[in-house]
Amino acid sequence: MGFSLARLVQDSFLLLPAVVPSWRFFDEIAPSPRVEYLLLGHEQEEWLEFRPRPEKISIFKMLRRMVWNPTWNESLFLVSCAERLMAEPTDHSANEIFDRISRDLFVANKGMAPAPFLKFRLVFLYRVNGIIERHVTYQSEARALEREGPL
Amino acid sequence: MSFDDALRLTEILLGLVFLQQCAEHLKGTVSEQVIYIPRALLSGLLVFGFFTSWICLGLWFIALAQLHRFQGPYNGGSDRMSHLVLSILTLTHFLPEQQWKELAFGYLALQLTLSYFISGWVKVVNPEWRAGQALQDVFRYSAYPVSEQVRGWADHPRLLLVMSWSVILFELAFPLSLLSQPTLIVGLVVAATFHFTNACLFGLNRFFWIWLTAYPSILWLQDRIF
Repeated sequence: MGFSLARLVQDSFLLLPAVVPSWRFFDEIAPSPRVEYLLLGHEQEEWLEFRPRPEKISIFKMLRRMVWNPTWNESLFLVSCAERLMAEPTDHSANEIFDRISRDLFVANKGMAPAPFLKFRLVFLYRVNGIIERHVTYQSEARALEREGPL
Repeated sequence: MSFDDALRLTEILLGLVFLQQCAEHLKGTVSEQVIYIPRALLSGLLVFGFFTSWICLGLWFIALAQLHRFQGPYNGGSDRMSHLVLSILTLTHFLPEQQWKELAFGYLALQLTLSYFISGWVKVVNPEWRAGQALQDVFRYSAYPVSEQVRGWADHPRLLLVMSWSVILFELAFPLSLLSQPTLIVGLVVAATFHFTNACLFGLNRFFWIWLTAYPSILWLQDRIF
């Protein structure tokens, strides 16, 4: 994390889309990613959707989320990571997804690893002739479920 | 609204919005806290108006660290608007002449107007938006609906057609609201309601708050020009 002029210049370029924005919100509805994970070595090895949507959200919860919405915003960041992985694969995007799935799994299992290894895949949904199709476009290598990730 | 009042109000709003964003990261990992704890401290100082020029510059460098940490924006458009407002405030403080300061601040108002108009334009030229199909797709399979119940809105094509055209017409007509202060205020209330709806249905709470921070700039510009 040390300072370098090259890094400063490089990061300044990441700021360009903000200073000269395009504002083309929803100009087209692109294929939409879902993150699914598989616990290798678990008694039930099956692909599960990461953070599936709840059936309902109360008005009270919607209003609370106006000021406190960290999990949902993190999920939107993972959508960006999934799209980046397809457009220009980097270890950064894969690590972000791995680490956030791992963290949730450890929290859900009271600090214990639920299985020795973890994999994730990206399923993209899009409409073809009026029907929503699902295509697996990326599958990660298996990684050991470790409490301390590189985040 | 005077230039100084609009600038100060923008600083206060931006500081509060940044505090909200920072709070959402404080339970995150160490590498996030390294960025967001100093950002929260500087944002608090910005709200209270201490050394605003240097605070803005400090926040600007932290914005670079954020972009480096996440290799781009964390939350797409809302982060881009955050960086835009911050960059404009920083520039405004360090520009030497009042005329240049006003030009920079006016650029923020221009981008706010474009954020609506261009979004409306790209929709109206798309046949799927004009037919209501695009909005149906947003509800049917995009990552945004906050619940399965909200996703169920995809089964109401007539409602979504009306909603699509309402959004398109509002976005395209927004620049006309600049003609007078009352029409601008109406335009901004409609815009805020639009962002609020998006926040409730699609969980885009950060968009709502950060777009509000740019409203003083357009209120000032309208007063300055018309």
